[in-house]
Amino acid sequence: MKDRGLVQGTGGLVVFLVLWEGVVRSGFATFDYLPAPSAVLAALGKLAAGGAFWGEIGHTLLAALLGWAIAALVGVVAGLALGLSPWLRRYSLASIEALRPLPGVAFAPVGLLAFGFSLQMELAVIVLPTLWPVLVNTMGGISALSPRLGEVARSFRLGRFEATLKVYAPAAAASVLVGLRLSMSLAVVMAVIAEMVGNPQGLGYAVVREQQALHPAEMFGYVFVIGLIGILMNWALMAVAKRVLPGEFGRPLAMEAGAR
Amino acid sequence: MKRGAMHLPPLRGLAPLLVGLAAWQILSSGPAPSFPPPSTWWRAVAQIAANGQLVPAIMETLWTFALGLALAAAFGFVAGLAIGAVPPLRRWSALLLEYFRALPPPVIVPVAVLMLGYVPSMKVSVIVFASVWPILLNVVSSVSRVGGGLIDVGRSMRLTRAEVLFKLLIPAVVPGLLLGVRVATPLAIVITLLIEMLTAMPGLGGLLIAGQRNFNSAQVFGMLVLVGLLGLTVNLLVNVAEAVVLRRWPPRGLAQD
Repeated sequence: MKDRGLVQGTGGLVVFLVLWEGVVRSGFATFDYLPAPSAVLAALGKLAAGGAFWGEIGHTLLAALLGWAIAALVGVVAGLALGLSPWLRRYSLASIEALRPLPGVAFAPVGLLAFGFSLQMELAVIVLPTLWPVLVNTMGGISALSPRLGEVARSFRLGRFEATLKVYAPAAAASVLVGLRLSMSLAVVMAVIAEMVGNPQGLGYAVVREQQALHPAEMFGYVFVIGLIGILMNWALMAVAKRVLPGEFGRPLAMEAGAR
Repeated sequence: MKRGAMHLPPLRGLAPLLVGLAAWQILSSGPAPSFPPPSTWWRAVAQIAANGQLVPAIMETLWTFALGLALAAAFGFVAGLAIGAVPPLRRWSALLLEYFRALPPPVIVPVAVLMLGYVPSMKVSVIVFASVWPILLNVVSSVSRVGGGLIDVGRSMRLTRAEVLFKLLIPAVVPGLLLGVRVATPLAIVITLLIEMLTAMPGLGGLLIAGQRNFNSAQVFGMLVLVGLLGLTVNLLVNVAEAVVLRRWPPRGLAQD
């Protein structure tokens, strides 16, 4: 059943590409800058043979992963604290709700002013928007736990720190992982945005550069690669999550939080 | 992730934010090139408003955003119904749709600039293309969850095809559509700002990037606050609209498969 779905899905992809190729070849399209998939493939081959391409992929991956790691660390710690302390929640939740809808793109000019064209600027743009899914899901995961867990921890005479580490954190792990996953795809998006608007390095800049140089085939090649990276990173995180938390990830996730 | 209709956290939670801003204001002495004190933000925004640039920019951004989101919702709804109601079509297009959803939306901007040029319709098409996928996929999945059973119900009640569509299928899909729209809303705002920033077309994004290019940091921070308030307002409006619509078309209990 699942194999058949995959075959048909791939079939759909092939049909789409063949139609695209046909439309461009027959001169049916009126767009000046729509390359055929075969031309995109050829451009990708040429790019992959050169050296800069892999460096650009590496740069974007580095920025996204670094930003994601910082956001994950801060988000989990802050989320744990907020989830465990109703007092802290009362006195900061409204601040979080006020800051959360800030569109991440709007931080690009701030990052540029503060850090110039650098990796730090990219991180400034990546970390803040990717922080929220981790923080909110961790907090939600903890505060939704049954109060009985606290009684269990107390009856075992666990200290506050030990109880957090051994009882609360594992119980909220599934919800934390949901946040981490949302953050990861967001981190790739934000890295690309930061490179498009600011730091002239990496894949985001490459797309804009090829667009300005009127190289549509190369541009589509980069766009394809960026999409692929998003999918592969999601798969990798899902694979890790399935190993760490079997059973929790069979169900599809509600899609929350697109790019911010 | 279920959110109550209108559930606002207590206002005293704003304290850390306000204390932080106050500390920023008090501690910054003299001119700070990158991090100007909050009082200067207000002056910078007031100056743009006095120039007569601010209101048109806000209107431009809001209008583009609303038009793009509305078109995305309409298109996603219709296409989602069609794809969801025809299982072979659903299976054949699954991978393609998954790829489009996974594609980071910002990369569509340069593609559209190259193919369509710097015209207002380019902005709207990019917003539609970027924000249609969560809507479409949510509609597809709610049709496929609810569809088979409902169509059988309709057949046993001897309803016509149009009646099945309008009386059974569409009301059952509305909650899925709303979830998609809620996910797409912040996405559409970001894309609107990003296009304006990248192409220097009129709008709030253009003002943001202009502030940075002129090293007018107070303007950048002031616009940041403004954009944040805009995001907050739009999110609240979407929540209110959702609550109203869900009261009219409550989620059906037929989803258990």
